[in-house]
Amino acid sequence: METEVDKEILKSAGAELLPNGRKGLRIHDWEIETIRGTILTSLAHEQWEEKLKTSHLPEMVFGENALVLKHLGSKTKIHFNAFDALAGWKQEGLPPVEVPAAAKWKFRSKPSQQVILDYDYTFTTPYCGSGVVEKDQETVGEKSKTEGEGSLKWENCEEQIDLAALSLKEPILFYDEVVLYEDELADNGVSLLTVKVRVMPSSWFLLLRFWLRVDGVLMRLRETRMHYVFGKGETPTVLRESCWRETTFKSLSAKGYPVDLAVYSDPGPISQRLPVIKQITQKLKIPHKV
Amino acid sequence: MSDLDKQIEQLKRCEPLSESEVKALCLKAMEILVEESNVQRVDAPVTLCGDIHGQFYDMMELFKVGGDCPKTNYLFLGDFVDRGYYSVETFLLLLALKVRYPDRITLIRGNHESRQITQVYGFYDECLRKYGSVNVWRYCTDIFDYMSLSAVVENKIFCVHGGLSPAIITLDQIRTIDRKQEVPHDGAMCDLLWSDPEDIVDGWGLSPRGAGFLFGGSVVSSFNHTNNIDYIARAHQLVMEGYKWMFDSQIVTVWSAPNYCYRCGNVASILELDENLNKEFRVFEAAQQDSRGPPAKKPAPDYFL
Repeated sequence: METEVDKEILKSAGAELLPNGRKGLRIHDWEIETIRGTILTSLAHEQWEEKLKTSHLPEMVFGENALVLKHLGSKTKIHFNAFDALAGWKQEGLPPVEVPAAAKWKFRSKPSQQVILDYDYTFTTPYCGSGVVEKDQETVGEKSKTEGEGSLKWENCEEQIDLAALSLKEPILFYDEVVLYEDELADNGVSLLTVKVRVMPSSWFLLLRFWLRVDGVLMRLRETRMHYVFGKGETPTVLRESCWRETTFKSLSAKGYPVDLAVYSDPGPISQRLPVIKQITQKLKIPHKV
Repeated sequence: MSDLDKQIEQLKRCEPLSESEVKALCLKAMEILVEESNVQRVDAPVTLCGDIHGQFYDMMELFKVGGDCPKTNYLFLGDFVDRGYYSVETFLLLLALKVRYPDRITLIRGNHESRQITQVYGFYDECLRKYGSVNVWRYCTDIFDYMSLSAVVENKIFCVHGGLSPAIITLDQIRTIDRKQEVPHDGAMCDLLWSDPEDIVDGWGLSPRGAGFLFGGSVVSSFNHTNNIDYIARAHQLVMEGYKWMFDSQIVTVWSAPNYCYRCGNVASILELDENLNKEFRVFEAAQQDSRGPPAKKPAPDYFL
């Protein structure tokens, strides 16, 4: 997923690649990095289940994968990881979605002692990223742990992400996409949480996407975009837009759209067909210094 | 060298057969498979393999670790196709080996060996892309209907893709299933290919999807006891370590697709059973990227919005 970028372009943008084989770059006091590992081992899987107080996790949890964006001056850290996303899933606790075959199964003769599991197997999460203001080592030592790190203060706002500026074909200095978790819903569709980032000379932009398709039943797309324009004004801000879309196959077919599953393998091109059910825009001020 | 041997050599280089060759191969395979029982008897020594999912070059690693067929006797537990880039070559090679050495390789059906599932998860599209028509997909999916549903090694190890069914108490009940059909949405045949063992239930559980059985330890104990089976070997679920025992070694999951979907980073395994049914798991990793051809290309950065 990563790509080679011309050294000259990096230099003229004031960026440098991270050393020691790390993936990412430093640019305008930001350090932007992606980290990749394997899916959880069986042991780690059990430990996560215990910590999250659940007996089920997605089949593929990329526990080490992350996107981390650190503003060195203000010690602001915005990051994305599977654990926090799954904590969000656990907390939201949606009721399960029945697959089309369920109707038939209701009439099947049941084994005498049957337990019906009722967790949200779609792993739908309201997660829109994690963040902290990291305090200096010494300060942390003196104060209690809760004061050691401050949470980020996102404020609701009217501004919108400048899509026109993002449509300009500026050179991309760094691009990557990492999967946080994925489940095949036992071949009944897909549940996929990924985050991708691109860094240009003028800004960074990222998209966290939860994509769910329960075949023949529903589609759910929960996206969070963040955009930060380098060196803009006295207090530059990160803009964050979260947009939730959802629809059923039934209502798509009523609108005359095809319900052929092959059409719905990639959420990008079809997202406009899914009605928006929730949208919120917020901003986060990034002071130059702590 | 016979035509079939030439075809096997060609497939081992990951070069697909022509449409007419596939048609002829499927006809021959059908004659062999139709004679097999729903609970195919297999002699030890034998090597058990789990899901492959079109990861052709990783299957070549499997043969490096396990030895070539016919020298090694193989039992594959289904899910040959979908998800990986080379379902066509993977399935055709296994089928050609089956026709060439019918007594040295046994292929049983997985839930992906189905018309409906392959239309969603890749095999259908791959056939269309590689042949320009869906004929090869038709020949192959017709063959799927003839594949056996389970096997039993030396009457001691019951082998199946998914798991057990509340409708099945004895192996004889499996023998009475009319298997020559598309995998149904419910019933014993569906359960054998789809169900999963589950720690948190003891008896039977129903998936939160409202379809699909889960079975606990006591279900496995009574099945093994009733049928005088030592343990059950199944596939169907990804395991990071390549295999996983459950319920006091009464059932084992064997997974044979390393670095599943080319990104999970898991290892794979095969289970070697000697003539006395002594077990040895052989764990292996994915093929090196440079040996597995073009799809390793990195996509260009994307001006996503």
